[in-house]
Amino acid sequence: MATQENNDDRIALLQGTLDLLILKTLVLGPCHGQGVARLIQRQSEEVFLVDHGSLYVALQRLEDKKWISAKWGVSENNRKARFYSLTAKGREQLVEKIGEWRRLTRAMGLILEPGNGLRTEEV
Amino acid sequence: MFKRKRSTEDFAEEIKAHLELEADELRREGLSEDAARRKARLEFGNVRAAQERFYLKDRWVGLDRLFRDVRFALRSLWHSPGFAATAILTLALGIGANTAVFSVMNAVLLRSLPVADPDRLVYLRTSNPPRGTGTIDSNETLSYPVYDALRRQSGGLSPVIAYVPLSNSKVAVRYGALPEEAEGDMVSGTFFSGLGVKVIRGRGFREEDETNHASIAVISYNYWTQRFARNPDVLGTTLYVNGVAITIVGVAAEGFEGVEGGGSTDFWIPLQGRPELNAWGNPLDDGKIYSANPTWWCLRLIGRLAPGVTRVQAVAQLQPVFQRAAYIGLGSPMQGEKPPVLSVIAAKNFPGYDERYGNPLRILMAMVGLVLLIAMTNVVMLLMARNAARQREFSVRQALGAGRGELLRQLLAESLILVSAGGALAWGFAEMATRLLGSWAQIESSLAPDRTVLLFTLGVLVLAAMLFGLAPLRMALAGGAELALKTSAATSNADAGKSRTGRMIVALQMALCVVLLVGGGLLIRTLRNLENTPLGVRVDGLVVFGVKPNITSIPDGIAFYAKLMDKLRALPGVESVTVMEERLGSGWSDNGDMTVDGKLPDVANGSSRTVRSNVVGPGFFHTLGVPVLVGRDFADSDTATSPHVGIINEQFAKRFFSNQNPLGHLIGTDDGRYQMTVVGVVKDHKYRSIDEDPIPMAWYMYAQIPMTGAMHVEMRIHGEPLAILPSARRELQQINPNLPLIRPMTQRAQYDTTISGQILFARLAGFFGFLAVVLVATGLYGSLAYRVNMRTAEIGVRMAVGARRGQVVWMILQDSLLLTAAGVVIGVPLAMLVGRALASSLYGVKPLDAVSYFLAVMGVAGVALVASAVPAGRAASVDPMRALRTE
Repeated sequence: MATQENNDDRIALLQGTLDLLILKTLVLGPCHGQGVARLIQRQSEEVFLVDHGSLYVALQRLEDKKWISAKWGVSENNRKARFYSLTAKGREQLVEKIGEWRRLTRAMGLILEPGNGLRTEEV
Repeated sequence: MFKRKRSTEDFAEEIKAHLELEADELRREGLSEDAARRKARLEFGNVRAAQERFYLKDRWVGLDRLFRDVRFALRSLWHSPGFAATAILTLALGIGANTAVFSVMNAVLLRSLPVADPDRLVYLRTSNPPRGTGTIDSNETLSYPVYDALRRQSGGLSPVIAYVPLSNSKVAVRYGALPEEAEGDMVSGTFFSGLGVKVIRGRGFREEDETNHASIAVISYNYWTQRFARNPDVLGTTLYVNGVAITIVGVAAEGFEGVEGGGSTDFWIPLQGRPELNAWGNPLDDGKIYSANPTWWCLRLIGRLAPGVTRVQAVAQLQPVFQRAAYIGLGSPMQGEKPPVLSVIAAKNFPGYDERYGNPLRILMAMVGLVLLIAMTNVVMLLMARNAARQREFSVRQALGAGRGELLRQLLAESLILVSAGGALAWGFAEMATRLLGSWAQIESSLAPDRTVLLFTLGVLVLAAMLFGLAPLRMALAGGAELALKTSAATSNADAGKSRTGRMIVALQMALCVVLLVGGGLLIRTLRNLENTPLGVRVDGLVVFGVKPNITSIPDGIAFYAKLMDKLRALPGVESVTVMEERLGSGWSDNGDMTVDGKLPDVANGSSRTVRSNVVGPGFFHTLGVPVLVGRDFADSDTATSPHVGIINEQFAKRFFSNQNPLGHLIGTDDGRYQMTVVGVVKDHKYRSIDEDPIPMAWYMYAQIPMTGAMHVEMRIHGEPLAILPSARRELQQINPNLPLIRPMTQRAQYDTTISGQILFARLAGFFGFLAVVLVATGLYGSLAYRVNMRTAEIGVRMAVGARRGQVVWMILQDSLLLTAAGVVIGVPLAMLVGRALASSLYGVKPLDAVSYFLAVMGVAGVALVASAVPAGRAASVDPMRALRTE
């Protein structure tokens, strides 16, 4: 269904990681959907490919859970856009999700590179 | 679920904004306007898909689909209106009949008395009354001393409540000038409080009302509605009961119509102590009213179990009290006499209903159950036929990607529509039918459907919906997607046409039809027998009504009736007039032993000595048109001072005067106090009811025996009997303005009341048998026509290779005859079981009545033949070439 070609250096996002990335991006301040997508791509050094359709569904999902809130505003180049910002509940979730992610990557590291699993901490 | 926080438009707006922002950014990175726009779109991916995902997200998808399915199903049913109408009507008839019979059964057999905590209420019964007593019912009625002793005990039952009607039919009441009649009971002061029945207006009774014989009354809600149009000013109104002034002080809660079985009580008064208000409206016995008469066991008792006491404990506590009280005023029991034993039975339901309606209702319920089964199988067959014809539609839809779930949902939606439409219609039918049933059966208590009935109907509907949805699915799926590819009428439909399930269902329907027809036939023959039973009385032209003067002196009583008869005889159009104590055909009779020539006659071991007797006026047999075989009728010249005379019937003469001339012999009451000379023998005729067997009877002359109470007047009229009533009423009220005509009706109608239950039962059974036949016929026609249709191609091939018309017709007929034979083989033994269950309701027909069975089998075979002949004829006229080219 996706019309995007999967370039070699890009990786489709793991199920469930998109929520974490969105929350993390919004820590920096309110942002609209397109900005979130750009930021994720840029910060991951263009490694992550964000399916925009999924992104908006995920944003809606987070909004429904009241982890983020949204309101229509005007972008820096004077376009109408829907701005998302992190709620207090979202912030708590972010901390928790980061913890979860750390435990996951550490465990993965321990299995994939026995001996120097502690180094994954820098991610 | 339906309130969305965000509209889809808003979401689309956001995506549009995204695309613009992205294009802006790309342009800034150096792309041309067009390229930027294209790339932004490309990067985004499928906009529609995203919107769809947003749309579907957390929406109640199922409901949305359901609407779609229902719309689709409506459309597809709209295209086959014949099918839809047949299915809905069939269902409505089947379910409606069940709901109607069930609501009657629910109201009559299942519903509790509308009292507080009905489970703790018990009726008091005795094994037998002591020797030398008279009763209303030898097990159900007890004496006043017994009641008085039981209510004074503590523990066991608290309280013990007595109730007794003021008349065995209706009692004369009067508000203003015009006398009317109503049903009234005398009850204990604890009646309302003990039963836990609320008095919604005014007050109920207190214990001192009973001791003081207070002249107050509580009326039923129903009576308040019908007689007083719920006028709140009714409290304080004076009503004259048998001429005694009584003040209305309360209205009982809605739904409470007394604890008498079969009737609805209009008003209650506390137990009274005056002769005008004796129990059952009886004249005084030796000058004593019910409460002073230990030999008259006439009160019904109901009690509430004391807290924590079981029925067994209560009986154990009361037994000695009861057995002592039973002999108060009777002397000590004779040696070897079996003392009466007290027992209690649950008073949860209305007394007497089960005996009266229980068996017929259960049988009717079974019958309508069978009708429903036939109706449901009919609809299933219709659905299967329809869906088989749509098999290719299903195959194509499966091939195009419809899941099994989707097909199932669509089928369920169709059945849901059929069932809800059928159910709504059924409820309407049932309301009507219940009302009719109630009025025919003369059930006066409320039959309005309650929650139980609603649940019952809904249960049946849900069952039907599931069945109709699931049964055809098997067939729809059996085809599978590949069928669509290889389809031709000849290959795909041949299997469906011969479906074994279909054949089994048809055979089963035939079997059920046989059962219903046999049952209906037996009952209708019973009805015929009852209606054609010779009564021995020339009933045409006879009219009867009751009169209850309040006279205590015997000569006054005799004079009252003599005067009344004289006045009535003088009316134009009146041929003759007489009186009688027990009304003919009312179900009541006076039974007892009689002495013949001073001693009780010897009878062969085990046979009964019982004689039914009646007290009648002059010219009684002449008025009735009963032939006097030997001797003479009673005459005006038989008076209190002339020799006492009696008349007997053939049975009496045969049994107690075999080979003798009975005239001139003495017969008398078993206590020897009254003797009379036989002056006539009359032909046997019906006394209590139409279905009674001949029994020895004797008649006393009213002017010669000390009785003054209510009598019934029998008049023979030229022309329309009921037309005499207004002038008869005028004559009566000239003598005493307080007196109404009690239950005036033609003698024919009076006799018919004794078989009204059977008549109703037989008519209903016949109706349901007929309904079953109609259903089976339509079902059979439908499924045969469909099967023949499916075999059109096969028939074409057969005819093309040389089969003749006759052979084709025979082939089709053979098929349905075979099914009929199978149905008959299953149905006849079933019908025999049903016949056995019906035995007690039959009159003059044996449960194994050959004619009924023969007619039922012929009926089913006839239906099968007619239903197959049309499709068979159609099959035979198929043009082979066209049949083969059907595709």
